[in-house]
Amino acid sequence: MSKKGSGPRKYTGVSSLIFTVFLWAYAIFSLYPMLWMILYSFKDNTEIFQTNPFGLPKVWRFENYVNAWNQYDVPLYFKNSVVVGAGTVILTIICAMMFTFAVTRLHWKGRDTARTFISTGQFIPVQAILLPVVQTVSALHIMDTYWSLILPYAAINLAFSCMVYYGFFKGIPKEMEEAACIDGASIWQTFFQIIMPLVGPATMTIAIYVFLSAWNEFLLANVLVGTTANLKTLPLGVLFFQGQFTTDWGSMGATMVIASLPAIVVYCLFSEQVEGAMTTSGAVKG
Amino acid sequence: MKKYLSNRKAIIVFCLPAIILFCVFIFIPILQVFYYSFFDWDGVNKATFVGLANYKRLLFKDPVFKIANANGFKFGAVITVYQLVLATIFAIAVSDKRIRFRKFFRTAYFIPVVLSVTVVCQLWGNVLNADNGLLNTLMRMLGVEWSQNWLNDRGTAIYAVAFVNAWQWMGYQFALIVAGIKSIGEDFYEAAEIDGATSLKAHWYITLPLLKDTFNFCLLISVTGGIKAFSEIDIMTGGGPGNATYTLTYIMYNYAFGRQKFGYGLTSSAVLVIECLVIILVLNWLFKDRETPLFARRKGAELA
Repeated sequence: MSKKGSGPRKYTGVSSLIFTVFLWAYAIFSLYPMLWMILYSFKDNTEIFQTNPFGLPKVWRFENYVNAWNQYDVPLYFKNSVVVGAGTVILTIICAMMFTFAVTRLHWKGRDTARTFISTGQFIPVQAILLPVVQTVSALHIMDTYWSLILPYAAINLAFSCMVYYGFFKGIPKEMEEAACIDGASIWQTFFQIIMPLVGPATMTIAIYVFLSAWNEFLLANVLVGTTANLKTLPLGVLFFQGQFTTDWGSMGATMVIASLPAIVVYCLFSEQVEGAMTTSGAVKG
Repeated sequence: MKKYLSNRKAIIVFCLPAIILFCVFIFIPILQVFYYSFFDWDGVNKATFVGLANYKRLLFKDPVFKIANANGFKFGAVITVYQLVLATIFAIAVSDKRIRFRKFFRTAYFIPVVLSVTVVCQLWGNVLNADNGLLNTLMRMLGVEWSQNWLNDRGTAIYAVAFVNAWQWMGYQFALIVAGIKSIGEDFYEAAEIDGATSLKAHWYITLPLLKDTFNFCLLISVTGGIKAFSEIDIMTGGGPGNATYTLTYIMYNYAFGRQKFGYGLTSSAVLVIECLVIILVLNWLFKDRETPLFARRKGAELA
């Protein structure tokens, strides 16, 4: 509702200048470490530490990326991260969508209790249950498989995903199922052919959020696959790299860029959904 | 129709995967945390029931617990103040249509959130490193004799680590507050402008009181975030120097994964869960709608 003619007052004066400078200064502070990482991924050790720590590389050493990719295990870490991320997204979405459908659209006693039960997951700190989760994973004999990460990750994201779905499922008019029922569709057909496409936007939001959180996860990955060389994800690879190849900082920088790039690209493409998803979790938690 | 939607088989099939997953990986583990906190257990042999002995030892005899607990609150205080103050200022700024480059600022402030904690810790580790860290190098280049061993000094280490967390997650609270401001109607501000309120005043009396629930949640995540702190500590200081940066999670990690004292480690986890719950309850009580508000809500309503 902007009034025509008398536009909003413009900011003028010294205080607003200081404020603008402050906004820019923090933006630089927020972005610079990343920029610095990108620049040093193109430098060699001498440049990073002695001659040129801050500026643009004098020679752009693309070989750092080639080294990271060929000599170290970056492709393996990358593959692990992709598999774990995709697996977590798929499993979380299947479980959350079916569950929310059952507690919002189907009629049964105890559905509110079931929903509350799952939503308590929001309040359980992952840090506290690390050890029992590790023991559960080893008792199920899924240690040293991708499932050792995918199953706990999906469980952790379940409460949040159900919450995002809940709002969407509640908004679907109940005539949808009635019409489907009259047309003779089974409850399964109704779910897969009518409801599933309708909650597409929620699915998208959840997929992006869950993918990012699985891609960056460190806490559980550290204790579950931290010592299993062939299952390490990129966040662990970045650390392992530091321990093993401290002599080659340029390649280490390249590895960090490779680890961060997919998440940054996802954010830039879907910034609305990412922020939307995070703020939904806030709205209900609080 | 009713029968159609009470299909027992469908209900079971739809619910079971989520319920099983949640029970196996979240619900049973949290019960185990409390159960084994009453036992002396190495994870292999039979656990011996010891009653409250673990709790007595942890709370009253373990000198590390005091450090860890204090660190949790220091960590929480740093990230709460840093994130809440900056996030509020920036959120108000990018919600103001008169500010230019709002989209850029929004992205710039949020982007550290999508980085992995290991990458962020590596970056800041390189900045704060004592020998050839970026910060000390910068000081040397500027000719200032002021080099600090941020991460290896017992006094500064916990604050340095907390700062890294605060830097990374400020954008999260920023996004929460931006979303909160979006939900406030424009007419509130138009009314304030007609009444002659400056924008600073308008924000003080309208934005802040109306964002009560958002602030409640922001405080909740940053205060409990301090108590739960672990990743940055594990990566950047390993609990050191000495035990100066231990937190409750780190005690658990050390006893459970380092010394095979599972019962004692889980006692620390149990205390962690209880502290988080108490904080949630206290915050919800503080922010509860009441007749005489703790905050200047009514003033905002009058002005609007």
